[in-house]
Amino acid sequence: MALIDLIQEDVVRVPLEAGTKEGIIRELVQTLAAAGKVADPEAAARAVLDREAKGSTGLEEGVAVPHGKTPAVQSLAIAVGVAPRGVEFQALDGKPSNLFFLILAPPDQSGPHIEALAEIARLCRSKAFCRTLVSSRNAREVVELFQD
Amino acid sequence: MTKPIRRILVYVDGTEQSVTAAEFAIVLAKSLGADLFALYVVNTRALSELVKAHIFLDSEQEEYHRDLDEDAERYLNHVRNLARSKGVSVTAERSSGAVHQEILAKVREHGVDLLVLGEISQIRSRRDELYNETERAMRSVACSVLIAKNEDRIAELFEELE
Repeated sequence: MALIDLIQEDVVRVPLEAGTKEGIIRELVQTLAAAGKVADPEAAARAVLDREAKGSTGLEEGVAVPHGKTPAVQSLAIAVGVAPRGVEFQALDGKPSNLFFLILAPPDQSGPHIEALAEIARLCRSKAFCRTLVSSRNAREVVELFQD
Repeated sequence: MTKPIRRILVYVDGTEQSVTAAEFAIVLAKSLGADLFALYVVNTRALSELVKAHIFLDSEQEEYHRDLDEDAERYLNHVRNLARSKGVSVTAERSSGAVHQEILAKVREHGVDLLVLGEISQIRSRRDELYNETERAMRSVACSVLIAKNEDRIAELFEELE
C-alpha cells in the first residue's frame, strides 16, 4: 500500500484544534478512529505517547512525525494534520510544529511502516511542498496536493 | 518452442497485496512449469535514512531491525507453506539493503524473466518522492513485470490449483 493511497480526506485534519503535543496526538488518533481505522483509540494514543516520551519526533521546519506500533490497527494507518499557528512539540530546531504525520502500524507489519516513514522523510525534504501543505485551507486541498 | 517464462520472482513485503502476488506467482509457476523464487528485503537503507532524519532513535532502529528480521521469516515461511500446499517448490530468500536495488540484483542473479509484484497505487502522482519501493522496482527492473490485481479472482485461481 503506497502512502498516497492512505491519505484521504477523512484522515486529514485542517486546522487542528488542540494546542498541546498530547492534544495533537489524541486529535489525530481520534480522526483515524472516526474514519474506522482504529479499534482502540486510547491504546493507539498511548503507543504514540510512549514513543514520544523516549524522544520527540518533532523535526525541523515545522514537521513532526509521531508514530507507534499498536495492535489497535489492523493495517498501516496515517493521519495528516495542519496547525497553521504552530504547536510546541519539542522539535529539533526548537520552533513550533505545524505539519503532522501520525502513523500507526500493527506490530507485525514493520516493513510497510518503515517504508511509509521513509516516503514522508523524502517528501518533507521539499520545503516548498511543506509550506504549501501548511497553507492548505481544508482536507481536500491537502489530498489534492499529494495527488497533484 | 522454449518456455516463455522459466523463472519467476515474487517480492513479498508483508502487505496483503504482496501475499496475493505470492499466490498468483504460485499459480503461474505451476501452470507454466517455471522455477519460483520469493524475496523479502529488510530495508536497512530506510532504517538508516530514518535515523539520519531524526525520525528514529538509535534504539528504535535496532528494535525495528529485529522486527523486520522476524517479519521476513514469518512472511517467507507463509509463502513456503502456500507453495508446499500446492506442490510447488519455492526458493525463499531474505536480503538487506535498498528494496528496489535488491530486487534488481536478485532478478539478475537468478536470471528471472518475470517479476510478480503486489498491486501498486492507482493514483499517479507527479511527485517522485511518492514512488514507493515497489514502484521503483517496477520501473527499473530489466525483466517483464506482472502486477497482481483482483484479489478475489486470484484467491479463486489459487484454490482451484491442484
